[in-house]
Amino acid sequence: MKLDLANPAWRTTLPPSRTVATDAPVSACAFSRDGAAVAFALGDGQVRVLPADTEAPESAAAAPLHQGAVLALAADPAGDGFVSGGDDGRLLRLGRDGTAGELANQKGKWIEHIAVHKATGAVAAVAGRMALVVKDGELNEFGPHQSTVADVDFSKDGSRIACAHYGGVTVWSIGNVALPPRRFAWAGSHVALKWSTDGKFIATGTQENDIHVWRIAQSTDMRMQGYPAKVKSLAWSADARWLFTSAQPVFTAWPFAGKGPEGKPPVQFGEEGAGLITVVAAHPSAEFVAGGYDSGELQLGDIKTRRSVVLKMADDSAITCLAWSPGGFHLAAGNERGDLLVVDLRR
Amino acid sequence: MAQAQVPVTVLTGYLGAGKTTLLNRILSEQHGKKYAVIVNEFGELGVDNDLVVNADEEVFEMNNGCICCTVRGDLIRIIEGLMKRKDKFDGILVETTGLADPGPVAQTFFTDDDVKARTRLDAIVTVVDAKHFLGQLEQGNEAEEQVAFADVILLNKTDLVSADELAKVEGRIKAINPYARVHKTEKSRVELEAILDKGAFDLKRILEFEPDFLEHGHDHDHEEEVKSLSFTADRPVDPDKFQKWMGALLQIKGPDIFRSKGILAIDGAPRRYVFQGVHMMMDADWGQPWKAGETRASKLVFIGRNLDGENLKRGFQDCLKQA
Repeated sequence: MKLDLANPAWRTTLPPSRTVATDAPVSACAFSRDGAAVAFALGDGQVRVLPADTEAPESAAAAPLHQGAVLALAADPAGDGFVSGGDDGRLLRLGRDGTAGELANQKGKWIEHIAVHKATGAVAAVAGRMALVVKDGELNEFGPHQSTVADVDFSKDGSRIACAHYGGVTVWSIGNVALPPRRFAWAGSHVALKWSTDGKFIATGTQENDIHVWRIAQSTDMRMQGYPAKVKSLAWSADARWLFTSAQPVFTAWPFAGKGPEGKPPVQFGEEGAGLITVVAAHPSAEFVAGGYDSGELQLGDIKTRRSVVLKMADDSAITCLAWSPGGFHLAAGNERGDLLVVDLRR
Repeated sequence: MAQAQVPVTVLTGYLGAGKTTLLNRILSEQHGKKYAVIVNEFGELGVDNDLVVNADEEVFEMNNGCICCTVRGDLIRIIEGLMKRKDKFDGILVETTGLADPGPVAQTFFTDDDVKARTRLDAIVTVVDAKHFLGQLEQGNEAEEQVAFADVILLNKTDLVSADELAKVEGRIKAINPYARVHKTEKSRVELEAILDKGAFDLKRILEFEPDFLEHGHDHDHEEEVKSLSFTADRPVDPDKFQKWMGALLQIKGPDIFRSKGILAIDGAPRRYVFQGVHMMMDADWGQPWKAGETRASKLVFIGRNLDGENLKRGFQDCLKQA
């Protein structure tokens, strides 16, 4: 079994999928560590869990866990459940049995972003000007930064976190709170951040519709311009050769193999006409990328062959989140209207 | 699914002028509407509203080489976050701290695409403390600028001053900004229609910029003081010349021009050309059509500091179609 976009079936039929309609915007989605369940964060405080298997009976909605909206969600790196953050300032660990334990409570702040590190079981979250890290049952805070932390991500080995904020990025060693952080400066507001899968680069999307990338070892940086909108979604391919970005009408991949992208145009491919890509998600092991559009369309692209196929038609509700299953054969998506989608890519 | 843009009302004014009292009034009235409130200080609000959000007034400069182009990043984030909630609301109220410059708040609604897609700036409402306003003018530029930016002014605490004092305060307000609608209030008591859903930035709704009261001679007129200047023209405007002149003017004088407004009769166009600007940011669109027989007069308004009236007048004259 493999994902092959040359298979003619992709051209004639949409893949099997399940759609569950809810009445609250979806802000995030994630598959559990074991790949058996997929959770969606909703604007009414609910975290809705569905089986990854689109044929299995649907699980029922549960009571809201957060007051207000759930803003962030990730697989629990230390269990088979999930971790969630909300605008009630709580960071929760959710068991598959429906139990919820509080990892942090920052009343008055919003927990808008969560990053997890599978190998170490660490969870990082943003709360106002601070970054929180929960590891081995211990909560540490890093900051305050000069402005609200807009995004956070782990280094490849999980020993450090990078925080995006006004004026650039700050990197902390999580094992030693007393260690001074390392700063990477670039003026303006950085709104999204992803540490490369090989650990060598940190990429951010900025308020000025461009992206900024730092080479960590040399402390050099580069800037990619020409986007028509803010790049709010970034994704590194599993082998770190490509950086995928949203905010273009087609798949856009910056080449990081060899000498890097300086002086080179990005590789662009895919079907135009669906609007602008709002979210990108890189396949966990192969060179595929999923892209969700502001029109609601969903596409799957293969950077090797530059082929792309449609997984879901446009329906006027922007895709807000995407997630791959750990095995890479299921894809989850949510939209502004509240539809939860699970696609089975096994053909 | 296109959503209607949620109207946003910005509340400015010095500490103690009565902003929180006004907010509590808006929230406790039985209007059946739902408002999200963005405040800087939790706990000041007496009303229990689950949509009160704490903001830090995080201002940053855009990287576009313009020193006056600053926006409120926290506002962008909060508005985006509010839209993720299931419960929708009828309006958003943004309270600023007493010393805050209203510029970055207003410019946020001109610059950020996501904010523009989901919300619209409805009006800037400034609460003025009748008793302390003249003293506050001496302490710095904030009180003056908050009045300069305003679409609506609550001249509050009128019960604490004499009629003479009140007239003096009103005179100063008018000298700064005669285009804001002034409501004299005690304890921020005002009809909500006076401050909500004003459409002050709605280019489709604006028909005329009327001074709130007739101007009379300024008793003192210093160059560096904030004042408003207006220019009218009976001859139609040449759009290309106007674009060039206005663009250059806002680039150069942007930091000193707090608000600019215009209704223009463009040569041969059936509709009014309407614009609204904050510093160097400007929104322009075709507005209401001219009625048959209506006098097609153009009007420009600038509210700012260090304005050179003669120069502006000449510049505008040069944009008119030659008779």
